[in-house]
Amino acid sequence: MKTAISITDLNYSYPDGTKALDNVNIEIEQGEKIVIMGPNGAGKTTLFLHLNGVIRAEQDNVKIFGNNIGSMKTEDRIREVGVVFAEPDDQLFMSTVYDDIAFGPLNMGLSEEEVDRRVKKALATVGLEGFEDKVPHHMSFGQKKKAALAAVLSMEPRVLVLDEPTANLDPKSRADLIRVINDLNKNHGITTVIAMHDINALSELADRVYVLNRSIVAEGPTRDIFSDHVLVKENNLDAPDIFKFFKILKCFGGDCDQTPMSIDESVKELTQAIEALEGKMSLHIHESTHEMVNDVISSYRH
Amino acid sequence: MKYPEIDKYAELDSLIHRFDPRAKIITFTLLIFSFVFIEDIRIAFVSLLFSFFILLVSRIPFGFIFNRMKPGLIFVMPFLIVMPFALDGNVLYSYNGISISYDGLYYGSLVVIRAATSIMLTLIMLGTTKMDTTMKSLHSLKVPSPFVQTLMFSYRYIFVFIDEFLSMWTSMKAKGFKVKANKHSLSIIGNIVGMILVRSYERAERVYHSMASKGYTGESRTIVKFKMQTADYGLAAILIGTVLIFIIYGMSLS
Ligand SMILES: Nc1ncnc2c1ncn2[C@@H]1O[C@H](COP(=O)(O)OP(=O)(O)OP(=O)(O)O)[C@@H](O)[C@H]1O
Ligand SMILES: [Mg+2]
Repeated sequence: MKTAISITDLNYSYPDGTKALDNVNIEIEQGEKIVIMGPNGAGKTTLFLHLNGVIRAEQDNVKIFGNNIGSMKTEDRIREVGVVFAEPDDQLFMSTVYDDIAFGPLNMGLSEEEVDRRVKKALATVGLEGFEDKVPHHMSFGQKKKAALAAVLSMEPRVLVLDEPTANLDPKSRADLIRVINDLNKNHGITTVIAMHDINALSELADRVYVLNRSIVAEGPTRDIFSDHVLVKENNLDAPDIFKFFKILKCFGGDCDQTPMSIDESVKELTQAIEALEGKMSLHIHESTHEMVNDVISSYRH
Repeated sequence: MKYPEIDKYAELDSLIHRFDPRAKIITFTLLIFSFVFIEDIRIAFVSLLFSFFILLVSRIPFGFIFNRMKPGLIFVMPFLIVMPFALDGNVLYSYNGISISYDGLYYGSLVVIRAATSIMLTLIMLGTTKMDTTMKSLHSLKVPSPFVQTLMFSYRYIFVFIDEFLSMWTSMKAKGFKVKANKHSLSIIGNIVGMILVRSYERAERVYHSMASKGYTGESRTIVKFKMQTADYGLAAILIGTVLIFIIYGMSLS
């Protein structure tokens, strides 16, 4: 398997002296689904600025498919990696949605028919069909976020990097977006790297999680990260509600093999656990139940 | 505060709306330039009526155009007030050594009429085309690209800018701020202005980064699809004919 992104010993301080990144090491394989979590001000956005060449590292610390991103030509770079930032107004600078989404493909030197095809496709992907002639100041924040995503999708990069994609979206749009990302990842082999605070979307968007707090403090499968409640607490994180609920259920005697991270997983795990008990799971209160429940709750409370 | 949405009525349907945007820009520019050089006040007045007729045809609400004409007219009004006193010539009326001259009144009025005509035509031109189409037409008319891009980004970000200002203003008022004519109030207003400048600078930087990350190299590339129809040639001919009639008639008078 090929390495999509490789970051080694990356340090970065802003001109005012703020140290934003301290010895960051990240290694992402092609086709992986990665989420980067961490408190506000942890350096997630700063890290992403390195991935589209806005901030240039001094050495060859950031590599995309083996090439040092600082010395890549723009045309090559935008084919490899597309970054969508959180603030859509900064990313929609043309007068219509169509022109914004066509901007990248036109700069790649594609033919007009191809550009048109890509714009239509990107709009359909994010669910904004018919928005071609809309002007950004007539759109809602969530719509602008989708348009900003479409404007990067139209370049069809091999690695898609998203900064807080679900923030400010309504529940349906959020679910749609999660579906879009999963479809791109599963069916088109696109590597996705997402920074977000939306822990309940985590299990669907991550094979693996990095916890960033100026430096990488932890890395691993989602469940391992969230089982470590000291780590979770220290980094201003929280475990998904369903995860905590099943921890509590366990105190009442409802034990599953693995603590589920999502609703879908909970159905699977519960079914398995109950089948193993010959079709019946009994819950009960014993001496230490309340104590155990309190322990679980307080271990994740901030 | 109102958004400066000049193309609010660009979706209406009229002869002027359907006019090919490039032909529109060229003929209206010709009209404006020939009208501002009219020397005779009667012809100038007819040109104002003619512009008003075009406004009627365009079906844009009068109030919309007149409201937007105001700032420009207020700017030229002093000419009408000052010139009758300042210019020598036939005395129309005199009182205690202060005299109002006929020539002054004539030229003052001429300036105001010319201004009204050209502002009205400009507004009709911009108001009957969507802004992005106007920009693309300028681009396809080979207007220098830095100029078109500057216009385009200014128009795009003025809305963001106003939103930003309004949200700051609302949050200040929500915290009990009232504008008073004192030092404290002034220093706070100075502070917001500074803040807005810093924010715009930082935004410009972020926008530039976002453009660069999509492969921008300074060239503007957009897809432009315009096609001149027979009707466009016809309307252009009529308008250019009108320009010629005005010019020839003007010359025959002098
Ligand atoms: N332009 C800048 N100049 C100076 N310091 C900055 C600048 N941008 C960010 N920082 C600082 O760098 C650190 C990392 O910021 P960054 O925006 O990368 O955090 P983040 O992880 O994206 O946070 P959030 O979750 O709030 O989006 C913070 O301490 C921030 O104050
Ligand atoms: Mg951030």
